[in-house]
Amino acid sequence: MTVSLNGDAIILAGTCGVDEVETLVNYLEARPDVPVDINTATSLHTALWQALMVFKPKMIGAPVSSLMADKLLPVLNAYIDGSRNKLAKASSSK
Amino acid sequence: MDELIAQFAIEARELVQQASKDLLSLEADPQNRESAESAFRAIHTLKGSVGLFEFGPMQGILHQAEDLLSQARAGRIVIDTTLIEPLLAVVEWIDDSIEGISRTGHLSEAQDKQAPRLLGLLNGKMAEREISEDVGSTTTIPGWAQALQQRIAASDIEGSMICIRYEPHPECFFNGDDPLATISRLPDLRHLAFSLKEPPPSPQDYDPFRCHLLIEAVSGGSLAEAEAVFRLIPDQVNLVPLPRTADKRAFAAPEKLPERSADRQSTTMRVDSARIDKLVEIAGELIATKNGLVPLADEARNQGNGPLARRILSSHHELERLLGSLYSALTQARMIPVEHTFRRFPRLVRETSARLGKALDLIIEGETVEADREIVENLFEPLLHLIRNGLDHGIEPEAERLRFSKPARGRILLRARQRGDQIDIEVADDGRGMDPNHVRAAAIDRGLLSKSQASVLSDREILQFVFVPGFSTASSVSDLSGRGVGLDAVQNSVKRLGGTLELQSAVGVGTSFVLKLPISFSMTQLMVVEVGDERYGIPISDVMETHKLPTSAIQPVRAGRAFVLRDRTIPLLYLGELLKIPSWHPRSGDLKVLIVRTGEHHIGVSVDAIAERVETLTRPLVGLLQGVPGIAGTTLLGDGRVLLVLDMEELIQ
Repeated sequence: MTVSLNGDAIILAGTCGVDEVETLVNYLEARPDVPVDINTATSLHTALWQALMVFKPKMIGAPVSSLMADKLLPVLNAYIDGSRNKLAKASSSK
Repeated sequence: MDELIAQFAIEARELVQQASKDLLSLEADPQNRESAESAFRAIHTLKGSVGLFEFGPMQGILHQAEDLLSQARAGRIVIDTTLIEPLLAVVEWIDDSIEGISRTGHLSEAQDKQAPRLLGLLNGKMAEREISEDVGSTTTIPGWAQALQQRIAASDIEGSMICIRYEPHPECFFNGDDPLATISRLPDLRHLAFSLKEPPPSPQDYDPFRCHLLIEAVSGGSLAEAEAVFRLIPDQVNLVPLPRTADKRAFAAPEKLPERSADRQSTTMRVDSARIDKLVEIAGELIATKNGLVPLADEARNQGNGPLARRILSSHHELERLLGSLYSALTQARMIPVEHTFRRFPRLVRETSARLGKALDLIIEGETVEADREIVENLFEPLLHLIRNGLDHGIEPEAERLRFSKPARGRILLRARQRGDQIDIEVADDGRGMDPNHVRAAAIDRGLLSKSQASVLSDREILQFVFVPGFSTASSVSDLSGRGVGLDAVQNSVKRLGGTLELQSAVGVGTSFVLKLPISFSMTQLMVVEVGDERYGIPISDVMETHKLPTSAIQPVRAGRAFVLRDRTIPLLYLGELLKIPSWHPRSGDLKVLIVRTGEHHIGVSVDAIAERVETLTRPLVGLLQGVPGIAGTTLLGDGRVLLVLDMEELIQ
């Protein structure tokens, strides 16, 4: 099991394949309040990155993989922050 | 349907096949001028036909494609994969559009939506051509690429740079694609961005297994390196090399093409296959009528008119001879080369291998071998399934192949050979093969055989279990080989055509399937039997003997019935029950029993009456009846009635 829910965080560990996206989505739906911890994840399939973009959870942890840490995670965080800001702006202008 | 559209559909399909064949052979051998000419002609003719209708953007797309081919033909642009790929995408798009067009008379909305992407691919090729002709001077850069370029720090702009816009296919996850992993393989990745396509899916209506991403990147590598990364999914990416100076120039208007006449003299004519079928039917009726002469001769002889009987019989022989040649001439007319089916595979394999990320070569041999049209056309599905099976489960990923010192590219062989009145079609891959131990374990797992049974079966016998319905060795269902449709379905469709399917496999070496099929449907002797008010045909080859059985000889055996014949106990079944005829009840009095062989066993099948014997042509079932178990086919009787021909073995199971 590389996708698991550990009390106060959804934990992605090791290599997470496309078949685990459903588990992840189930957790994201059930617990929108908890962050997603990718500290011990070594690689995530595109489907999982996409799920994170759709649900926009708070991301925690610093993955060892330089591809994840330097290239992919910043894009995801920027996307999540960007749409949060948009939401904030939209609600403040109402 | 509109005649003109129908004609267009027929012609367009042929031209598409031709163009696709030429483009593929051009890809393999860019120097082949003949293929370049032929591809150009096919696209040119197609453009002409499309011009007669209003198919939205199709005309324009074909015009662009024709232009590129014309340049290639004249040697003004290099023929390579980057030229062939957009052209193949166009050909494929048209092929996909034809069905909708022949149904509705216009281009479907879904197909229409793909037009900009195709134009983009073709234009991308145009733009790139400009660059390769005149490096570093001028070109037109799409807006998105300019935006990407601006994201790169000025200090980073050195050497060549490639802008990549990658829109993964929505179903790509099912094909094993991992788009972000793919793009991260680009050399010198200077910038990477990905986002959900607009409008982004909301958490409620989002499907985690569909890819909804747009990925953009800038690579410092060469165009060739970037192309290599996306070599299997060229239709999903747009690669734009950035020149060092970015001034713009609109590219020259496409030159006017010289009009060419594409007339080719030919001795063949196109005949609706239904007309030939009609002739075959009439020949079948003639055979039935001719058979009626034999009892007539008998009657004449019984009335003491020997000379008349002899004359009738001699006419019968003459008729038989003529009908024989008529029949074989008609059979000939229905023969088409297996190429009709085979030629659909190179493109499918190319697409599928692209989606799977496995590089491989499809080798086709013996495509000129001929067989009955119906057999050739019905070969597509089983062959497709076997080829996909090889692609999906057989051929290993490149890394694994290299580890086992195999060539990096996989190989699938599709070969037809004629052997007397049979054709053998082989589908062989050089992949990982089927592991008998794996199959053995799976068969035990699924309760198909016990451990002790499994241990005495040879590896070869064990492998046959892959044909058992519901058996699949794939640990996960893949989109490619379909869900729940296994090799048993392939075996069934081969059986329906009167053939057999054999399997050989060696671990690490590969798997080979051989389909042995008749070249044409031959005449068969049928016994016509009656059950209730219905009549059925049973191939005489299935019936060992017939018996009259007094009711008193029937012994109940558990839930069933049996009787003793020559010291052997033979189970007895009623055909009326086997066929589930609602109004049927066993008749009183003696039973008429056919002794039928199924595998090793003899089984008695009771019928109400045994009528005449007929010699007819049995045709495999098509359409709705195809899935009916126990029915081998249909045949037409002399009086125009249709007789269902039973497959006793299947019925008894």
